[in-house]
Amino acid sequence: MVTAANDRLPFSWLRVRTVVRRHRYVLFRSPHRWFDLAFWPVFDVLLWGSLGAFVAQQSPTSRSTTPYLLAGIMLFQVLMQSQIAVATGFMEETWTRNLLNVMTTPLREIEYVIGLALMGMLKLLAAMTTVSITAFAFYRFGLGEVGFGLIPIVGVLLLVGWSTSMLVIGLLLRYGQSAEILAWATTFAILAVSGVFNPVESIPGPIQPIAKILPTTYAFTAARDLLDGGGVPWATLGWAALSGVILAGLSMIYVLRMLKVFRTRGFVTRYS
Amino acid sequence: MLIQPVLQAHGLTKSFGEIKAVDGVDLCINPGERLGLLGPNGAGKTTTLLMLLGAITPDTGSITIGTHHLPRGRAAAMSEVGFVAGYLPLPDRLRVREALSIFAGFYGMNRKAGDAAAAAGLERFGISHLAERMCMELSSGQRTLVGIVKAILHSPTLLVLDEPTASLDPDVAYRVRRGLLDVAAHDGTALLVTSHNMAEVERLCERVVFLAAGTVVADGSPASVAAAFGHGNLEGVFLHLAGTVVAEDQTDNRDGTTDQEAPW
Repeated sequence: MVTAANDRLPFSWLRVRTVVRRHRYVLFRSPHRWFDLAFWPVFDVLLWGSLGAFVAQQSPTSRSTTPYLLAGIMLFQVLMQSQIAVATGFMEETWTRNLLNVMTTPLREIEYVIGLALMGMLKLLAAMTTVSITAFAFYRFGLGEVGFGLIPIVGVLLLVGWSTSMLVIGLLLRYGQSAEILAWATTFAILAVSGVFNPVESIPGPIQPIAKILPTTYAFTAARDLLDGGGVPWATLGWAALSGVILAGLSMIYVLRMLKVFRTRGFVTRYS
Repeated sequence: MLIQPVLQAHGLTKSFGEIKAVDGVDLCINPGERLGLLGPNGAGKTTTLLMLLGAITPDTGSITIGTHHLPRGRAAAMSEVGFVAGYLPLPDRLRVREALSIFAGFYGMNRKAGDAAAAAGLERFGISHLAERMCMELSSGQRTLVGIVKAILHSPTLLVLDEPTASLDPDVAYRVRRGLLDVAAHDGTALLVTSHNMAEVERLCERVVFLAAGTVVADGSPASVAAAFGHGNLEGVFLHLAGTVVAEDQTDNRDGTTDQEAPW
């Protein structure tokens, strides 16, 4: 008689670490991927920092523009790197036709996703080091100006990044490689509609309702409040956390449903 | 003493839209058994194989690997299975040694044990010199041999091989076959092999199951199945099932018999 407990393989940090190691090898062997960590972030900071400096020169009352823009683009890196690392980690298996090899090992889905997320944290660390050095070297700005409130903001942005990566993986499972473009598009859509650099009120009216349900909108608003010298905006951060948790829950439901569809419809043959 | 099969599948069915790919397949493999799963294109081999590996969910039926039921026990079941496909590359930005170490990790082996198993596997197949090569640089034969090493790192009870010798030179195919026979004989690992090379299957497998239109149409030793269809070898059976009309002088019956009507 087989018991249910016998059927379940216990969670293994060894397998999680192995996922991290697998993608670390890929990163070190793929110099073009370093562009995401050490090249584009520099230009992001230069672009938005220079724009802020120009606006500040034109209008002395707009001196907070540079910190707004730099904090926005630096925090956007948190969102983008956490999302891209997980999504492209999964895509790496499809690009190298390794998905069936991975699926026929004891690696559990949750172990795989946690491994990709941890790898994403390492890449995020690299990218944040790059943007921090660049922002300080050229504009004497550091995210430390945001204060301890930075910690929950980064937490919310990580949660949103991982959640959107789950949505992207769900779309890839369902629609195949044609959905790859969404890996990059989703973060830039969030950039546009969640007021990364600007208050929600400056977003066109018809789009504001979308902005108001996104956790990122509250996270970036909280960052600006902190830069303005106010106390930690717990209410705003609370909304950010609540909507972030709801998004995470919905994205998990979606990716699990798509995994079921993937297995039911035999979509694995697309990658073998 | 009752032998616990390494794999049991009962009543597997799978449809994709209007197409019934697999229709009531039963399969049982005992420890150390070498089974060929055969059939013409579209017979349902790959779908059956992917269901047995947990990559496709059957519409109906049950699959048990060892003592683990799919789909719930997929991860636990896969710890008892090794999988090699001749058409699947290994991760191309990794060295062979690294790729094997990664898969050993997925199988739950720590770094030291995994590296040792990888080195032993490469040595066993006489390909230790490939350890530092990038996977993308391997020839198809080397890739298959490394793929087998990957699949036996954790000493599985069942080794599933999809077209393991497809497009390989005869000498490499011979090395692959010899290695697989050694794994079955010395490790007691059961083999489940799909192939379009009937002569290869005759050399490698002691039992064959033929699928046609998603159902099992023959199950037995290669000789008994060939005889049941009135042929001298499996290629004749394959051609019958594929509906191929073969001129008498073109049949591949090595015993000199000619093709006859299939008995089903």
